[in-house]
Amino acid sequence: MFLTMKENVVIIGGGIAGMEAARQLLLLGYNPIVVEQKEQLGGHVGKWHRLFPDMSSAQDLVRRMEEDISEANIFLETKVNSINRLREGYQVMLSNGVNIACRAILIASGFKLFDATRKEEYGYGVYDHVITNADLEAWFNGNADPRIPHAPESVGFVHCVGSRDLKAGNSQCSKVCCMTAVKQAIEIKERFPSARVWCFYMDLRLFGKKYEDFYIGAQQDYAVQFVRGRISEVSEALGGQIQVKAEDTLTGKPLRVRLDLLVLMSGMSCNPEMTRLARMARLDIDSDGFLKSLDNIRSINESNRPGIFFAGACTGTKTVPETLAEARAAALDIHRYLQKGL
Amino acid sequence: MIDRISSGFHPFVLPFLAGMIFVLGYCLYGIIKILVQLPAEDRKRFFISLVTPKTFLKNIRDIFCDCLLHVKLWKRNRLLGYMHSSIAFGWFMLIVLGHIEVILFLPHRIHLFYYPIFFNFFVAETDSTIQGSLLFFLMDFFLLIILSGIALAMIKRVRSRLFGMRRTARPSLLNQIGLYALWAIFPLRLLAESFTAHISGGSFLTEPANWVFRQFLGNNLNMLPTWWAYSISLGVFMFVLPFSRYMHIPAEMMLIPLRNAGIKIRNARKGFARVEVWSCPNCGVCIDACPMSVDKANIKDCTVYLTRQIRRGNERRIEEISDKCLLCGKCEAVCQVGVEGPALRIMTRAERKYALPQDYSSIPVESLTEAAKGSKVLYYGGCMSQLVPSIGRSMESIFRKAGVDYKWMDRDGGICCGRPMFLSGRIKEAEEIVRKNESVILGSGAGTLVVSCPICYKMFKEKYTLPGIRIVHYINYIEELIDAGRLQVTRSDLCYVYHDPCELGRGAGMYEEPRRLIGRIAGIAEAPKNRSESICCGGSLGSLTLSFAKREKMTRNALDNLYAAKADALVTACPLCQTTFSRYADRPVRDIAEIVDMQTVGTITKTDSI
Amino acid sequence: MTDFGFKLSKSSAIELDKVDTSLYERLCQAEPGARICMNCGSCGATCTAGPYSGMSLRKVILGLQRGQDVRSMLSGCMLCGKCSMVCPRGINTRHLILTLCRIYD
Repeated sequence: MFLTMKENVVIIGGGIAGMEAARQLLLLGYNPIVVEQKEQLGGHVGKWHRLFPDMSSAQDLVRRMEEDISEANIFLETKVNSINRLREGYQVMLSNGVNIACRAILIASGFKLFDATRKEEYGYGVYDHVITNADLEAWFNGNADPRIPHAPESVGFVHCVGSRDLKAGNSQCSKVCCMTAVKQAIEIKERFPSARVWCFYMDLRLFGKKYEDFYIGAQQDYAVQFVRGRISEVSEALGGQIQVKAEDTLTGKPLRVRLDLLVLMSGMSCNPEMTRLARMARLDIDSDGFLKSLDNIRSINESNRPGIFFAGACTGTKTVPETLAEARAAALDIHRYLQKGL
Repeated sequence: MIDRISSGFHPFVLPFLAGMIFVLGYCLYGIIKILVQLPAEDRKRFFISLVTPKTFLKNIRDIFCDCLLHVKLWKRNRLLGYMHSSIAFGWFMLIVLGHIEVILFLPHRIHLFYYPIFFNFFVAETDSTIQGSLLFFLMDFFLLIILSGIALAMIKRVRSRLFGMRRTARPSLLNQIGLYALWAIFPLRLLAESFTAHISGGSFLTEPANWVFRQFLGNNLNMLPTWWAYSISLGVFMFVLPFSRYMHIPAEMMLIPLRNAGIKIRNARKGFARVEVWSCPNCGVCIDACPMSVDKANIKDCTVYLTRQIRRGNERRIEEISDKCLLCGKCEAVCQVGVEGPALRIMTRAERKYALPQDYSSIPVESLTEAAKGSKVLYYGGCMSQLVPSIGRSMESIFRKAGVDYKWMDRDGGICCGRPMFLSGRIKEAEEIVRKNESVILGSGAGTLVVSCPICYKMFKEKYTLPGIRIVHYINYIEELIDAGRLQVTRSDLCYVYHDPCELGRGAGMYEEPRRLIGRIAGIAEAPKNRSESICCGGSLGSLTLSFAKREKMTRNALDNLYAAKADALVTACPLCQTTFSRYADRPVRDIAEIVDMQTVGTITKTDSI
Repeated sequence: MTDFGFKLSKSSAIELDKVDTSLYERLCQAEPGARICMNCGSCGATCTAGPYSGMSLRKVILGLQRGQDVRSMLSGCMLCGKCSMVCPRGINTRHLILTLCRIYD
């Protein structure tokens, strides 16, 4: 099917990692083949509204990235059925019947947003005014959501929903939720200036460039209040308001507050698709359930199998810039690997 | 029939005689010890029950069915049942027939209690004894039955799976000695009786054997050693009996009347508990049943090992075993003699001393009572329900639809039911909590208490004194609402598999009601292990020491059992099971209240209560 | 002693290097989970006894680490197990409490 002289590289996953790697591989003179399960490219970022720290449009980013890879082969709504080792390289069979022989595969299958219904105590899917960070972004993007009141007077953000939580099967920190909560708190305040906004956190992990500025801005300019205490119970007050219970660990007192809207910061968890791929290609899984890199310092992009590379959140939780940088690094690793073989 | 030995004695009976006297003495000592250890009130109750005709007859029936015929084992596995009842009942019949023989033919020897056992040695057949042929036939017949049982027992040693058991308890040294002695007794008896069959007479087994032996063993010199061996094997068996699992044979005959008298375990080592510990036959059925024994883990923490360690007095292990257990009650449910594994453990926990006393004086009973007033129906969700909002919300919705005037007693936090405290063995503290709740409930003026958590339900049913208040589980309550026409049910196409929570099923005996209710609103499938053999979700509050990580395997194992039903979703009636399963389940886990709420509409608008 | 006209009051500061943590260490030996608390406060928030006795397991553990008396909090515990359900670190909280009640001196 591919009669070009360019060498095939199969990229599994059409999120930002896969797209960025495809762009680099095109520039390096390869024929990247992007395989995406969903009906469109962009993954989670494609559904987001604005990205910190520049508050740039996520949709624009994805659109530009899509334009950059218009020459690549892209299979949407397609799954990988099998990966077989050949004498040299691999044979990748797709669910649309296409078979691809290649010497390098890039896995960029990303993460799965934690299913908030699994933290039953938060009442997601039970109470009328409990939503997730992803729901809020969708609403920012213009999708109607009856759970969000017309003029909420009080809004709470719960950090670490399904992250740093053994009970939810995720002991890792999702890295981006603290910052996302601060960003979304600001965005809520911009839309509803009179609303009181609280963020309930265990630890604020605002490590990235300009993150601390956001934190200061949220406090100073938007009067967002930060409560150090993990919410452990959510109930419905008479009248449909959400009542949350936390411990205000700084004063050492139990704390209750009634809210019109509760936003759960669903974290990143392992993608079951990734686990399936790992079984298919006999890739190692790390103790946290994500794919295991050859090492976690110098060879994050490399797997235990020759010719199979990783990029993005399939090896652990990542921010958008980290993912993009990794994707570019992976493209170079692939280039180096393929050059060496010639 | 003539008495062959005029003195009526031969030294070979001595090993048997010594063993028999030892066993009887030991049992007598045991009975006295247990009676002394029983609290005076229980002792009185026991004596009264012994002379009450109804319990007397029940005792006889139970001893016959359980100890001799092993009816419960037959239900579990026919081969296992046959094996046990053939040995027990066969042996019993040999003893009975032996006595009949002595009474019929040598009534003057009846005071020598080895005579029925060694009858064939002491008698010589005459022409007039043709009347004994039926008895001889029966003796050989039952000996054959026992031998078939022994053969099965030998097969079971190597192939326990044939008997429906994957794992059996590893026998201790004394158990092994007892076992081999037991195996030796009946083949030796056959040999001994065969060697004397041409003198004493015999039947279809012993006579042909005698003929064969006499083909190459011309004299009677071989006779005596086999009778010696037979007597020695009996003696050895009886000497190890009190120290081996075979103690269950006499102990069970004590256990049954005590249980029928309604006596409960009040101390983990003494009195009734001691009888239960002695009654454990070490069969190991509880090992396969135990939810902790997934992947061959925690096998040494099953009830069979608890009874063994209690007998050995190994305090460290007794503590470990007692603290680890989930108290799901499955070992008790499958136990053939009814050893109460959970109660033994709770009572062990109860012996502990705590340096820091609990103090519940700060609980504001008055204000909680005030808040609970005003409705005829009080709903108690329980602590765990607060972590599973869907249950409380569905219950409220159902109450509203049916027009029930209710009050949610612990909507905004309340008092624990006390069961978790009870399970930890702190019984006095649990009772203190119970008194607080009783005070709130009685003061509320409600007539009905609806409970949704089975852990609380069991506690309310068993430990609360609430005169004039009906304690009802929500499953029953919802059924009543539907039957009264206050809720209208629509059917869904979904198929659910129901998980029996330990506390509701084995704990409160509610197996059919939940199934009936689910059946009214949706399809229902059954898991291979269900009802009284349902597998604990692994989240139980019963265990004190099991870590979160270790419980995961148990939960996954319980889930695999439910998945086998191939249902669309799981449904249960316990917030703790639901939370535990939800963590790892590959399909939705719901509460009955939740699915009922989805499938019902109210028919009444006026607020009322039933 | 010279009267300066004022008294030197005992500092309210926690002298971390002088604090007696022997009870905490004994607890950790019997229930190592006591070491991994990250002070998130989930247990305190959900505690059934919390509203009545001020019980918060987080504060109990922290108090022990700082050598404080935590008895009044602990004595209100009803062992309901909600804290063990919500603990994100999977600490066996009920065993921790029972052990502490046993060894408290």
